Amino acid sequence: MFSKPGSGPAVLRKVTQEASKVDPAKRRDFLKKGLVVAGGAIAGVQFASTLHASQNNLPPNLPEWSKSLGAGVITNPYGQPSPFEGDIVRRTVPWLTADRIAAISFTPLAELDGIITPSGLVFERYHAGVPAINPDEYRLMLHGLVERPLIFTIDDLRRFPSTTAINFLECPANGGMEWRAAQMDALQFTHGMISCCEWTGVLLSTLLEEVGVKPEAKWILAEGADGAHMSRSIPLEKALDDTLIVYAQNGEPLRPEQGYPVRIFNPGWEGNTSVKWLRRLEVGDEPWYHREETSKYTDLLADGRARKFSYIQEGNSVVTFPCPERPLKQKGRYELEGLAWSGNGKIKRVDVSFDGGVNWRQARLKGLVLPKALTRFSLDFTWDGSPALIQSRSTDETGYVQPTFTQLREARGTSSIYHKNAIHTWRLHADGTVTNVQIS
Amino acid sequence: MSRLAKMVYAGFFLIAVFTAMPILADTGAYGVGTPATAEEIAGWDIDIRPDGLGLPPGSGSVEDGEMLYEEKCASCHGSFGEGVGRYPVLAGGEGTLTDARPERTVGSYWPYASTLWDYIHRAMPFPQPQSLTDEEVYAITAYVLYLNDLVEDDFVLTADNLASVEMPNRDGFFFDDRPDTRNTGCMKDCKDPASIEITSEPSIATLQEDESGAVIEDVVAEGGQKVYQQACQMCHEAGVAGSPMTGDKAAWATRIEQGRDKLVSSAIEGIGIMPPKGGQSQLSDEEVASAVDFLIQRATKE
Repeated sequence: MFSKPGSGPAVLRKVTQEASKVDPAKRRDFLKKGLVVAGGAIAGVQFASTLHASQNNLPPNLPEWSKSLGAGVITNPYGQPSPFEGDIVRRTVPWLTADRIAAISFTPLAELDGIITPSGLVFERYHAGVPAINPDEYRLMLHGLVERPLIFTIDDLRRFPSTTAINFLECPANGGMEWRAAQMDALQFTHGMISCCEWTGVLLSTLLEEVGVKPEAKWILAEGADGAHMSRSIPLEKALDDTLIVYAQNGEPLRPEQGYPVRIFNPGWEGNTSVKWLRRLEVGDEPWYHREETSKYTDLLADGRARKFSYIQEGNSVVTFPCPERPLKQKGRYELEGLAWSGNGKIKRVDVSFDGGVNWRQARLKGLVLPKALTRFSLDFTWDGSPALIQSRSTDETGYVQPTFTQLREARGTSSIYHKNAIHTWRLHADGTVTNVQIS
Repeated sequence: MSRLAKMVYAGFFLIAVFTAMPILADTGAYGVGTPATAEEIAGWDIDIRPDGLGLPPGSGSVEDGEMLYEEKCASCHGSFGEGVGRYPVLAGGEGTLTDARPERTVGSYWPYASTLWDYIHRAMPFPQPQSLTDEEVYAITAYVLYLNDLVEDDFVLTADNLASVEMPNRDGFFFDDRPDTRNTGCMKDCKDPASIEITSEPSIATLQEDESGAVIEDVVAEGGQKVYQQACQMCHEAGVAGSPMTGDKAAWATRIEQGRDKLVSSAIEGIGIMPPKGGQSQLSDEEVASAVDFLIQRATKE
């Protein structure tokens, strides 16, 4: 039914070359997974691997764990996932970056349910590693075109009225490796630079009111306290709308990876504008054109011009089951699931195709449908063992329909790196395995 | 006047002063936060704008910049700005922005020279951010501009002339005008099934467990790994500037033969292009030794 793909993309050869540099034991793993595990949870995996399912614990027998006592309270003062789930971890793709300090890791979307990403699984993006900030020595400076430049401690920030919102956080480079061709072999790597958390903090508009913004103010510079001193220019209009100064994530203090003790958060916008380890906000009348808004995070088009300040993460979606990590093991009835999101508001509908976009069926939206948040969708289907090309297509409340790859490439070419939100295709094979493909 | 009377008098005086002051201008609605002094702001306010706003006084020449660049930048960015490994290419790429593989460099892509000064001062050199003096930043900025043929070799960059350095791609950017696609959301017979071809598909096998279900990763010298990540990884992970790559058995074998003590002393004192303690002078000798142990472990494990 489908023609064979041509020779693999050049980058795959690069993956293989990279793999050949590591030792044989690791190489085997690398080639199988196209990744190396980024630390953590290793003990759990080894624990799980030493066990095997025993008939002795299955009906009609009484399982081992029902005939003894388990661990008591505060055995783990801070609870951890079951050791049997030690494979649900962030992973990185070593060849993407020069080192692991200015690098990125990916959220394991295939293994997650609902819309909230557990804090320990939120993808990481650092430009100079994670700084260790003593909260007692933390200060946020707010100055520039203001009546009263002020310095805030964490206690100060917590004295202002707080706001809580569930929003996605996405790197604009999510899927950026796929502009020219499909090359990542897992959902974790095609779409894993996204997560969705409950964020709590004070509205930036409240702080701006406190310092008194001068009439000529138009822009705000947000700057991090990490070695990169990550900086982005943010229009005052956004800052007065829904920008948060965040100190809590999923009900607890921000994780170090997410900017502990304080980050700025711009709902619906590319993740790098939500500067972590925030130390300074300066109000000005023009943008600063710093490195992360000129050299990086600008979208180069086919005609050689580039879009700047392309903040919004437009409507997107992906099927999370089935996917490469979660193949179909037998014929029968299933519930397809996926995630949709839009930086412009709520998801209005999601359609699903099994035939590469010829015909579409409307999926149902499950659970919470919130603006600028991950939204879960599902569709019942019966698999008869036939190959299929599975796609999902989101429409948001502004009426924006997720584009096909052909439409996106026509508009932008293939050198944009950022903001790739095209309809994604999974190829379901007759044996139930799933691969990442691009189709005409 | 008695002391008590003096205090009472002073108290009334202060109350009178405070009530006379326009309170609304001095605090916001919540009265939370501490006024930022000019000195405090000056210490942290480092941003530079294209018009030169924020630049400290100073200057630096291409000539001075060359030596500094070679010492502090070339190990990652290459002597000609060509980039080492995956570290950023700084020069070249003119006229490639419409190519299939465009090369985005300072000269070919960056719209403003101020961004270079700001970023070098803000975040470079990578392992020792904000360690450069203002004069050094001027000189290195001048040299990177020179590497891109944007200034002559006798050029001296100053606070006054930086804003007038014209970058070739200055007008290459435009404000976000999306949405730039329009999908109609067709539901039925949207295209000819016969026209569908798979245009690309990764050749690597689907993500799956190996037989044991185990993920291969050794238990490591934990403290050593942390120090390694902080001080050593940046160069040794990729073999930057001829450094032996982490886990490269052949490269490390001859070094390990010299004994652990020699490796530890080289790491503490520096060797070749590697600065003492990998440039992280705050580390104790013991911490550096633990990183050496980690590197030895990685180079000798099966």
